[in-house]
Amino acid sequence: MRGAIAPSALLCAALGLALAFAPRNAWAPSVLALLSTVAALTFVAMPRAWLEGAFLGCWISVITTAGSVQLFAKVTSRAALILAINAGAWSSAITGLSGSSLDLLEALPWVLILWPASWVSRRHGQVPIKVGSSWLTAVAALSIALQLLPVTPGYLPDHME
Amino acid sequence: MSTISRHQAWRASDLARAVLALTSASLVCNPVAAHSGTGLPGGWAAGFMHPLSGIDHLLAMIAVGLWGAFLGRPLIYVLPVVFPTMMVVGAVLGMFAVPLPPVQIGIALSVLMLGSCIALAISPPIWAACLVVALFAIFHGDAHGKELPSAADPVSYSAGFVLATGLLHVSGIALGSLTARPIGAITTRSFGGLIAIGGAWFLFRAIRT
Repeated sequence: MRGAIAPSALLCAALGLALAFAPRNAWAPSVLALLSTVAALTFVAMPRAWLEGAFLGCWISVITTAGSVQLFAKVTSRAALILAINAGAWSSAITGLSGSSLDLLEALPWVLILWPASWVSRRHGQVPIKVGSSWLTAVAALSIALQLLPVTPGYLPDHME
Repeated sequence: MSTISRHQAWRASDLARAVLALTSASLVCNPVAAHSGTGLPGGWAAGFMHPLSGIDHLLAMIAVGLWGAFLGRPLIYVLPVVFPTMMVVGAVLGMFAVPLPPVQIGIALSVLMLGSCIALAISPPIWAACLVVALFAIFHGDAHGKELPSAADPVSYSAGFVLATGLLHVSGIALGSLTARPIGAITTRSFGGLIAIGGAWFLFRAIRT
């Protein structure tokens, strides 16, 4: 089973964490850019053959967006805008290609994590947000590996057996 | 009681409550059931429960957070970042069936070593602490990476799995933050000693089988 909700939700969450490191006046334009990109691309028909590439691009975007939180102390307004457009494009692409554009309604609200993240960042410093973003990076890296996996070794015994 | 000390007292009781809740949650899980089958039918919930259901993995995760808190900044947050990152490397090796030294022994050693480091209050250089944690994370990742692809929804499974692992680190950090209290260092080192004893038992079991 591979739905489009989880990747796009994680991408939106990563964007939310990145926006928490951006200036407050960049929040509204970035969220607007995200929504505009999604709205524009929802009506663009993409070839079905792009599905695998779209998922890969989405996961790479999660790593890039979460990485911007881990590597930098601040995200500039311009960078926030670029990340938002990028997130909108990949979220829209995978939900459109997997034939479930309504999934975006479940994924997009995850960007609102920026409010609690900003609060935590102000009150407890950037460390918890950086640690949280490393979890998103880990999930994305695992998902890329799964996508490239040639075999399914899941039948092998568990380490506790 | 001054404002600062009242604030500290509130934080300590808050922390104790959080640790108690996390510990209770981990005790509620059956340590055998979730590891008894091959193949994973679930998604997020199964992934979230998985790290909580294997006592060896659980103790190692808590030990990473505990050791990080014991060593202080920057390792308090570097170790919980290094561990999942290298666990992904281990998971990828596991998925691609890359042979590694016996994983069970590696996991048992991780519990024993990390527990001993806390119990003996070992303070290595930053790079050495990262290297130790990174090395052991590969074994934990490998063990779970082999199981991951068979999950019904691997993405949600891995999200739940990573989140639970991170929360175990956080609970370890919460325990480790007791170090700042009067008898905190002894308490933290005692926890480390208990973890090391558990690790010795796992190692004995792994070598015997």
